Amino acid sequence: MKRATLRNAALGALAGAGLLTSAACGSGFDDKPAAPAQQSTGPASLQILIGSSGDAETNAVRQAADAWAKASGSTATVTPAQDLAQQLGQAFAGDNPPDVFYVDASRFADYASVGALEPYGDRIANSQDFYESLRATFTYDGKLYCAPKDFSTLALIVNDGLWKKAGLTDADVPTTWEQLTSVSEKLAAKGITPLAVGDTRDRIGAFMVQAGGWITSPDGKQATADSPENAKALEYVQSLLKEKFARFPKQLDAGWGGEAFGKEKAAMTIEGNWIKGALKADFPDVKYSVHELPAGPKGKGTLSFTTCWGISAKSKYKEQAIDFVQAMTTADQQMAFARAFGVMPSRQSAKDAYTAEFPGDAPFVNGAEYAQGPVNAPKMESVLADFDTGIQQLTSTSPASVLERLQKNTQAALGN
Amino acid sequence: MADMTAPAGGPVTGARRPRLSAAAREGVAGWLFVAPVVVILGLFMLLPILMALWVSLTEWNGQGSPFRAGVPFVGLDNYARLFTEESLARQDFMTSIRNNFYYVLIVVPAQTVLALGLAVIVNSRLLKGRTFFRAAFFFPSVTSSVAISVVFLFMFANSGAVSGLLNLFGIDGPQWFSDSRGTLHLLLGALGLVDPDAPPAALTDGGPFGLSWWEWLSGPSVAMTTIIMLVVWTTSGTFMLMFLAALQDIPVTLEEASRLDGAGRWQTFRHVTLPLLKPTLFLVLTLGTIATWQVFDQVYVMSQGDPAKTTLTPAYLSYKTAFRNFDYGPGTAISFVLFVIIVVLALVQRWVLRDRDAVPRPGRRTRRGKA
Amino acid sequence: MAVSIGAAPRSTRERRRTGGSAGARTLASTFAGYFILIFFALVFLYPFVIQIANSFKTEPDAATHPLSPLPDPVTLGAYEKVFLNTDLPLWLGNSLLVTIIVTVGRVFLDSLAGYALARLRFPGRAALFSAIVAVIAVPGVVLFIPKFLVLNQFGLYDSYTALILPVIADAAGVFIMKQFFESIPVSVEEAARIDGAGVFRTFWSVVLPMARPALLTLTIISFQGTWNEFPHTLVAVQSPELFTLPRGLADLVSGSLGKGTQYPLKLGAAVLATIPVAVIFVVFQRYFVRGANEGAEKG
Repeated sequence: MKRATLRNAALGALAGAGLLTSAACGSGFDDKPAAPAQQSTGPASLQILIGSSGDAETNAVRQAADAWAKASGSTATVTPAQDLAQQLGQAFAGDNPPDVFYVDASRFADYASVGALEPYGDRIANSQDFYESLRATFTYDGKLYCAPKDFSTLALIVNDGLWKKAGLTDADVPTTWEQLTSVSEKLAAKGITPLAVGDTRDRIGAFMVQAGGWITSPDGKQATADSPENAKALEYVQSLLKEKFARFPKQLDAGWGGEAFGKEKAAMTIEGNWIKGALKADFPDVKYSVHELPAGPKGKGTLSFTTCWGISAKSKYKEQAIDFVQAMTTADQQMAFARAFGVMPSRQSAKDAYTAEFPGDAPFVNGAEYAQGPVNAPKMESVLADFDTGIQQLTSTSPASVLERLQKNTQAALGN
Repeated sequence: MADMTAPAGGPVTGARRPRLSAAAREGVAGWLFVAPVVVILGLFMLLPILMALWVSLTEWNGQGSPFRAGVPFVGLDNYARLFTEESLARQDFMTSIRNNFYYVLIVVPAQTVLALGLAVIVNSRLLKGRTFFRAAFFFPSVTSSVAISVVFLFMFANSGAVSGLLNLFGIDGPQWFSDSRGTLHLLLGALGLVDPDAPPAALTDGGPFGLSWWEWLSGPSVAMTTIIMLVVWTTSGTFMLMFLAALQDIPVTLEEASRLDGAGRWQTFRHVTLPLLKPTLFLVLTLGTIATWQVFDQVYVMSQGDPAKTTLTPAYLSYKTAFRNFDYGPGTAISFVLFVIIVVLALVQRWVLRDRDAVPRPGRRTRRGKA
Repeated sequence: MAVSIGAAPRSTRERRRTGGSAGARTLASTFAGYFILIFFALVFLYPFVIQIANSFKTEPDAATHPLSPLPDPVTLGAYEKVFLNTDLPLWLGNSLLVTIIVTVGRVFLDSLAGYALARLRFPGRAALFSAIVAVIAVPGVVLFIPKFLVLNQFGLYDSYTALILPVIADAAGVFIMKQFFESIPVSVEEAARIDGAGVFRTFWSVVLPMARPALLTLTIISFQGTWNEFPHTLVAVQSPELFTLPRGLADLVSGSLGKGTQYPLKLGAAVLATIPVAVIFVVFQRYFVRGANEGAEKG
């Protein structure tokens, strides 16, 4: 038993393998993916998978979906995914993807390039009304694939209580990197952690934009990671981290910047408009104000994030799905979502209504003018994840080497 | 049913008479008895492996079935990329190998020594409450790895129990899960041999498989040590039971004879007990090595490979590559390389075991020890 | 002195041989032994104390006094939230369903196959046994993607069948049962056979009743293994309504943005995931011990 086991094991495995090879070859796996039989009229049963920011969003989308279902006589089941990318990936491979699902801008190119998405974008009424930058984000090979759901930008969130405690006033809210450093010194002197900032490119990238740099060229075809502008940005972030002026959420026992901020572990954080809903739900007592991000050497800069309503190329109910998305992206519905969970409408026609209703959100809305969207190229996910790793080690590595590595990997992924 | 299986099974074929011979009947029954297990293991163990072998040779993008025309066949490219090409894929893979190597290097000896030590003490005839202590040490092994990981996440949080405990002793503990510094780097720094912030160029300039020597020499990161502690804590109990069973098989007279001859407690253990435990010791080492190369649950729950990829392991990397990045080919290739690593290590250990068994007899050693 | 009573024969004999100083030494080492045992018992059990205690705490209390075994104030808030705000009742139900079916299936199928491999002569038996041993040696983690592929190909992905069928027979269980059946005397079966009972009848009403200890051991390790199973659920299902407890718990922990750390809640869910196995462990401890050692033999 003891010694011969593994040899026997190997032999046995080979024997079994031989037996099963014939079975595998003979069992008739389908040669072509069957075109989904379309059921373009009548009631549909739509599966909708969303990557929810929290209960507020889930409930709001459920409500809207129920209203649509009632009006159209269909059913619409909304499922919040814990890990959207993973669930979608397994669903695509399993040939049973949901009919409608959120597509994050950063993964859009991956999905579009493998043919998982139905390019329906311009069949939505008045699709020209979506912000041009959002349309560009969801365009692949010249086709608008999906309708932008909403968008958000990053801003500086300031804790009013801690601000006062440190003897600071509104005039002290930093508008430049220099002021950010000097106000951090004052906060740190009072024993308050100045800034909680997420440890990924989705937050730190804003500093790169403020310095005038970015990971790729504007057309997304060239890698520009090792530019001096990017180096300047990372050097600045590194100095904040080394002085402990900026801390990553994990270092503050929090899952993300908003949580660290809500627990009052830092006086400032850099987050998007989703933080409003989260603070209202989990930390209703925290008083805060929203400001535009401090400008860098090349002026103001922020990042924008967006999601679209993807429709599966394999859906049986494409027509009804488009009708559903149509209902979800009307200006009125977008305002309803804005009220429920704090996102900004993707339709320009809703902009005025939004700014009128949420004057405090002006910094987020203003950010749209100078915001940088996510890298829009397939196969970039692991490259960017690797960059995040570099960011997490920023205190112990040199910015130049982090960027050099990012440059090399981006070039490889973009094929240049 | 008999019709279906008799021709394949029994040595007496064509026996469609109402009464089969006893031997044929037993043959048919034998195959009927094993049939469900054979079908299930065939369908869900062997067939999947074959399918995965195929996928590892393709660039299937996760859309629809991988077994149809048009899925690009790339031969051994997915494997080659892990070893030869200067790429992110190789870097990630080698990083995961490095992490897991240090993990195995610490977990296996630690859990073996702890398990053996506890077994010896629990087995001591002088102490009462053995059943309780045995149960206490074994209990962590039977609980859910996910649930336990949650508990450790809480204990090692920055304001958690472990930091609190260290504070009692005036130690300002590290920020466990966000600390990506390598412990070997820290050690070298503390000894003043190398400055971790500015490692010597000789180490950073080059190294095998896309990682610099400095990166290879990181040791497990601080974050990884929490997973190491968790796993040593959960697995020691099982191995303790194995040692305990082996200890109880050792005749009391043998140890007592040695003590009567004037050998000290340690000498008795070293020269009488330990040699008799050798088969169990090697079994524990082998099982430990095989299990530690497969660490997955804890990484999934506690760190997802973070911080800075220092808890990335091949098992988690293959999962992530396939299900997050839709690179099923490279993902399966990683899992097969892991498979080979585990089988080779197991074979090597068997081989070592066989050699050592043939060397000195326990009895001779004892006598020599006393002389 | 009280200490040495339990071990009287040995310690008195030693004292007689070497005199008083050895007695003192024995006492000292007994103390050292207990010290080590109690220290490690704390190390091995205190995390569970922390787990239970903190699940009854409020979040601020858990954050400021994580070490304290006494919640102040004691609150059931976390458990209330677990039951009302998460799908835990559903996960609990799924876990129970899957665990019970898999355990029953494994015990039945594994003992059928184990019996055949131990007692029935049929062509290919030796090869089949080697194959079973080979399957035990296959590391589980390399099967993640393969299992997903096969479930996907058969259209079983994301169903109860996917959770149950692939794990309803296991090679290690077959091995354990085969070893056991080989250890019981053949004579009883032969008597039954001579009485004219068929193979299955003999197995079912004569052999199985004798196999109770082995069946219990297998039941318990199957229950424990299936209840705690995590990676398989990761590649078998994706719909939240099919999550088992470990899968649900894992998702709760890596939860989405805005949920916060909420440790009492997570620890409460972890406590609930631990309780069934803990109860069975306390009641059937010796079968667990046997299971661990059977596991050792198979290596």
